[in-house]
Order: sequence, then C-alpha cells, then structure tokens
Amino acid sequence: MPKFYHDDEAWADIAPLPQDDGGLHPLAAISYSDEYSEAMGYLRAVMAKNEYSDRVLGLTEHIISMNPAHYTVWLYRANTISEIGRPLQDEIAWLNPTALKHMKNYQIWHHRHTIIDALGSADGEAEFISSMLEKDSKNYHVWSYRQWLVKRFDLFDKPEELEWTHSMIESDVRNNSAWNHRYYIVVGGREGKLSVELAKQEIGYTQAAIRKAPQNQSPWNYILGILRAAELPKSTLKDFTCEFADVQRPEEVYSSHALDILADIYAEEENSKENAAKALELLATKYDPIRANYWNYRKGLLDQPNIAA
Amino acid sequence: MAVPLRFSTPAPSSRLEEIIPGSDRIEELSDSSGEYEDMGTATVEEQAHIAYLNSVRIPITDSLETATSRMDDKTAEIILPFLEGNPDGFTLNTFGIPKLQRESHAGALEAFLGDYPARVAFMDASRPWIVYWALQSLTALGIDISAYQKRVAHTFSLAQHPDGGFGGGYGQLPHLACTYAAILSLAMAGGTETYETINRKTLWHFLGRMKQADGGFTMCPGGEEDIRGAFCAVVILSLTNLPLELPPDAPARKRGLTSFTDGLGEWISKCQSWDGGISAAPGNEAHGAYAFCGLGCLAILGPPKETLPKYLNVPILINWLSSRQCSPEGGYNGRTNKLVDGCYSHWVGGCWSIVEAATTTGLWNRTALARYILSACQDEEAGLRDKPGKNSDAYHTCYNLAGLSAAQHQYKYDENVNKGLGTGNLGAAYHWKTEGVYDGKNNVWDEGDVVKTIHPVFVIPYMSVYEMRKYFEEKEGF
Ligand SMILES: [Zn+2]
Repeated sequence: MPKFYHDDEAWADIAPLPQDDGGLHPLAAISYSDEYSEAMGYLRAVMAKNEYSDRVLGLTEHIISMNPAHYTVWLYRANTISEIGRPLQDEIAWLNPTALKHMKNYQIWHHRHTIIDALGSADGEAEFISSMLEKDSKNYHVWSYRQWLVKRFDLFDKPEELEWTHSMIESDVRNNSAWNHRYYIVVGGREGKLSVELAKQEIGYTQAAIRKAPQNQSPWNYILGILRAAELPKSTLKDFTCEFADVQRPEEVYSSHALDILADIYAEEENSKENAAKALELLATKYDPIRANYWNYRKGLLDQPNIAA
Repeated sequence: MAVPLRFSTPAPSSRLEEIIPGSDRIEELSDSSGEYEDMGTATVEEQAHIAYLNSVRIPITDSLETATSRMDDKTAEIILPFLEGNPDGFTLNTFGIPKLQRESHAGALEAFLGDYPARVAFMDASRPWIVYWALQSLTALGIDISAYQKRVAHTFSLAQHPDGGFGGGYGQLPHLACTYAAILSLAMAGGTETYETINRKTLWHFLGRMKQADGGFTMCPGGEEDIRGAFCAVVILSLTNLPLELPPDAPARKRGLTSFTDGLGEWISKCQSWDGGISAAPGNEAHGAYAFCGLGCLAILGPPKETLPKYLNVPILINWLSSRQCSPEGGYNGRTNKLVDGCYSHWVGGCWSIVEAATTTGLWNRTALARYILSACQDEEAGLRDKPGKNSDAYHTCYNLAGLSAAQHQYKYDENVNKGLGTGNLGAAYHWKTEGVYDGKNNVWDEGDVVKTIHPVFVIPYMSVYEMRKYFEEKEGF
C-alpha cells in the first residue's frame, strides 16, 4: 500500500514543498510516482524548518525504502537520530536487513560507520561483516568498513582479527581484499617500521600461500610489500623465487610473477644484468606477452644507473 | 564493485521490460556460446583472432581451484566467443573487428538524456552523473551537443544548493560528486550564460566545508572522506578558477590549514597501497577507479613529472597499472584477481597518459584494450557495457569511449602549450596536447572507429576545458 501524508492528521501542520522544475524540461527527468513525489515534498518542508522528530524518522525510512541511494535522506536521518536521541542499537537493528539488500550502496555503509562511531562499541560487527562477505567476498565497502573498525576500536593486536583474516585467505587464496586486510593489520595501519622478526614470519606465511598457486599475484605483491616495509632487499627471496622460474631453464617457468621479481633481483646484483634481461625477455615474448611493452621498458631501464624499484 | 560513481542505469525505453536477472542472462549466453563454438567453421578472420588470442595468453594455469578461479573461468567462457568471432553480427572493419556502432550508441545516449519512468527513482540522486556521462559520450562520438545547452544550464540551476555546490536535484544537499558532474556538464554546454549560472562564491564556501584537517576532502557534509573527494575538489577549483585559500568559515582553518592544497599531496601519498596501486582512503585496497582519481588530482596539483615522483612510488605504480590488463581479453580489471570490466578502460587506461607524462611513452598495450572495447563491450542493441552478458548503461558507455580515446590518441604533456592559460592556481593541467592517432602493432581500428580527443585529466573535450578556465581567469572577483 502506498503511503500518503496529505490526509494524515499527524502531518496536517506541514505544507509540502513540491519540486519546482520551472521553465524548461530538465534532462534525465524522472516521472516520479505520486507517493515518492509527495514524500520528498514533505522531506523538503521539514528540512527547511530543521525539524528532527519521530515522524521525520518515519518519513526518512519511507523514502529510503523507495530510494536507498538517496544520500540527502540518509544524512538527514543521521542528524535526526542524533537530535532526538534514538537508541543507536535500534538503528543498527533496523539497518541490518537494509544493508544486506543493498550491499553496493555508499550511503548505507557510511551511515553504519556514523552510528557505530557514536555507539562506541564494535560488538556484533565482526559477525555482521562475515555474513556480508559470504554473499560477496570482495565487496569494497565491507572491507573498507572493516579497516575503519580495526582502527576506530584499535583491534590491531586482537588475535581474532588476524585469525579471521587468515581464514578468509584460506578459503580463497586469490582474494586480494583479504591480503590487503592482512597488510593493514600487520603493517599498514600501524606506525613505524616492520620488525625483521615479524617480516620473517609473514614471509614464511606468504611463501606457503604462493606454493599453493604460484601464478596468483596477490601473495607475490604482499611479500614484496613486506620486504619494503621491513627495508629488506628483494634478494632475500632469491632462492624461493628460483623454485618457480630459472632463466637457464626457460621451458620450466611456473610463475610469471617469479620472473618479474627475479629480473629485479638480478638487476640489483653486480654482474647479472644479462640474466635480468633474459627474465624480462621471457616475460615479453612468452610468459606474459600482453605486457610486452612494459617488460621491454623495464629492460631499457637496465642500462640506466639506479634503477632499483 | 561499486565503482565510485556507478549504478546500473537501464535504458529508458521499452528495453526496461527486457531486463533479465544477471545470472539467468549469463547462463543463457554461455549456452549459446557453446553452440557457436560447436559449429566449428571458423572464418579466416576468426582464425586470425584465435591465433592472436593465443599469442597474448599467459601459458601458465594453476591447478588449485578457488571461488576466484571458478569465476574467472566462467567469465572467460562468456567473453571469448566475442573476441574470437562476431556473435552479434556487427558490421566489421578492415581488421575483422566490429566497427564502432556510432548510430546505435548515439541513439541510446539521446535516450539516456530523456525521461525516465517512476520505477527508477533510485537514480534520483545520480541524475547529474547521467547528464555528464551522456553528454561526454556524445562529444566523444563527435556529435554536436549545442542543442542541449539551455537545458543543461536549467537542469543544474535547479540542483544548485543555496549554501553552495550542487546536489542530485532540486532540494538535495550539495555533494562533491554531483558538483563535479555539474561543472563538467556546464563546461561542455559552454557559453557565458551557462557559466554564469554557477554561484562561485557559495561554491568556494561549500568546498571549504569539505576540506579536512588531514588534507583530504569529504564528499558531502557529514559524508565519507575518500580520494574521489580530493579529485572532484581540485577539478572544480581549477576549472572555475577559485581562490586557493580556504574561506574564513572553513572548519579546517581551526586546525591550522590555510589552503585547499595543504596536506593534499601527502594525503594522496598515503592512499598508495602496498602493491603500488591507489585506494579510496589510506589502508583500503588498491582500485583502478581510485587510481585515476589520485593521478588526476596530482596532475592538477602540478606537472606530472614533478608531482608523481614527489608523492608516489612510480615504479610499483606502473607495475600495478600494467598488471590490470587482462590476458587474453585485453581489457582492464579494477583490482588484483578481479574480472575484466569495460569501465576500467578509462579508469585504468586513462591513467597511462598521466603516468607516461611523468616517465616515458609506450608503456602499455593500447590495441589490446581497443580490441576488448570494440569486440566485447558494444551492446548488440545500443550503448557500451561492462562485458558480454551485462546491460549497457550511460556509465559504461562513457568510460568505454573515454578508454578508447586514450588508446587511440597520444596525449602529451607540454609546458609550451597554452602558455597564456593556467598561469595561476592549479594551472598545470592546461598544458596537454594531442600528438596524432596511435598506429602500432596489432592495430584494430579504422579511421571510422576513432573517437574524438578527450582531455586526459578533465575527461571532457579540450575546448570545453580551455573555454571555461579562460572565462573564469578573465573574470574579476566572484
Ligand atoms: Zn564497470
């Protein structure tokens, strides 16, 4: 049943502000339903007089049900909640099913962020996030929200956070969002340099992941990120990398990413420029030809001083 | 993803009736593609395409199956028939690749600017985007949009907020994304009267309220802070030539900031991720659309040769951007281990002009990208799309065409271009030029498939960029 306000006594004191399209016909105009059009007219009217009340809360809910991507309504709802002191737990309970229905919506996530921030407690959020990721394991909003939670509630050293991230990587070692989260809790969200000890632990973890699927770029990138953060040279990985690619045996390459790193390792060595060139040549001609231009560019850099990436 | 700025926009026509839930449509397509392959009589052109695809394929496949690899395989099965053959029966160019279907795309774009039924109320806050995407696409196809001039000005005058900036429509709160789409659309419409509909003084105050103490920008009052905000803000500040000093009422002033650019480069720097890409906000995952926002922002803050190395680790950025090109499809994905998608033709493809301006040219595979766009992203009926099996929409039409333009034209940064323009605030991006159409190995387009040039940072025609900036450079006061 559509809901209208003009015959609702509770709204009798409000004169709606109708949309005025004056003069020319606007581009990409929507022929709104009477219901949507009227509700928006009442919203504009209450916004104009800065009314925050229970009935406004109901009005925002009504409009959100018709258009969940309406940032104006979400923002006004957030202000209303704070002005009338609506119990924040109630708001979260209302929000959960809405969020599940509209996962790719910026407004819902930002609203949740605002409410949880004001509530000052992350209780139940981890479970909620898990249920969202079951539906879409790489959802950008969900992962970004999780990073915000870790920071807001200082969950960096909570063992469950790393364990959960590990379980996400376990279930799909190619989920780059999970690797990003791991980096965030191990290094990215913290101040200062990564200790060599912790770096070694992460390197071991990542090497095991690479062995499962050597052509998966996420852990290769991760391991390079760890080296950079700990200020360790790429040559740390030389033996490991050679398990997957050897320029002397060009027929037996199990990972193009290993060749990429080998090229850099050789480039940093004293007399191995030729090997570096060979690795890049293999990438350009055989193991990753769509990026031939890039590999050839890298080859060109070998002749220049100080190319260390 | 929810790429920033994205939602699916059904064509406002009878096609609305035909929308089938995505998964059904994918099933349907994979069935028919199977039949198609079974026919087994490849033409000479098809044989050439198949040979090409084999020549750019990575010859290594891991045996481990995960959700990601299953999805990749399923998607490749849907896309490959479009790269190998011509299942939609398009007219082909001399390379045996579907021609750019100009007429049908133009028809879809005119429709995108028309009226929508009540059931798409969910687009109510995104109308500025639709107008921008459609107008930009029309100009990319070389279609004169001057007939829309007055209606563009009118549409956005209704969406301008009394406190400054533009919202999604009448009575909506101002939002940086809407304001960005509004300013670009007004620039394309052009003309003094159009420019004068912008209240620059209140706009300046609105932008001041969005500036944050950490150097970044929020999208709207009380809204999220991310790299779209940083990019949109500098695009707007630059095109409308607003003063760089923060307005007196800007909250960031209380935290010691005095200029819009204070801490901005440093904030972008914090968005570079561990793998070299750029994310929405510090700590988030690297993502193609945010990479373009970050690079675009730096290309407005100064010449790319200076700002990119100053704020980013350029070698790992190039490695990451390069890795986004999918093999053998040739199109781009937005994140590591995600699927190819036509909109990244621009979000990632468009990054290259800026990166090459900071390094050297010839870093990427232009023709592979163009092949993906022309062969796989043109909707059988009209408009461009993410990939076969998805509906076309204004968003994907705009960013596929912008990506095609980046592939076809060689955009160069040259300080000697337009010396008289952009001498003041945020003027670096006015010194770009076009150095001819690219012609290299494995080319796939004829002259008739070449789209118009597009400014590599502002993503509207060069003339629209110059004329708006010039107008506001010559104007005194607000
Ligand atoms: Zn897309």
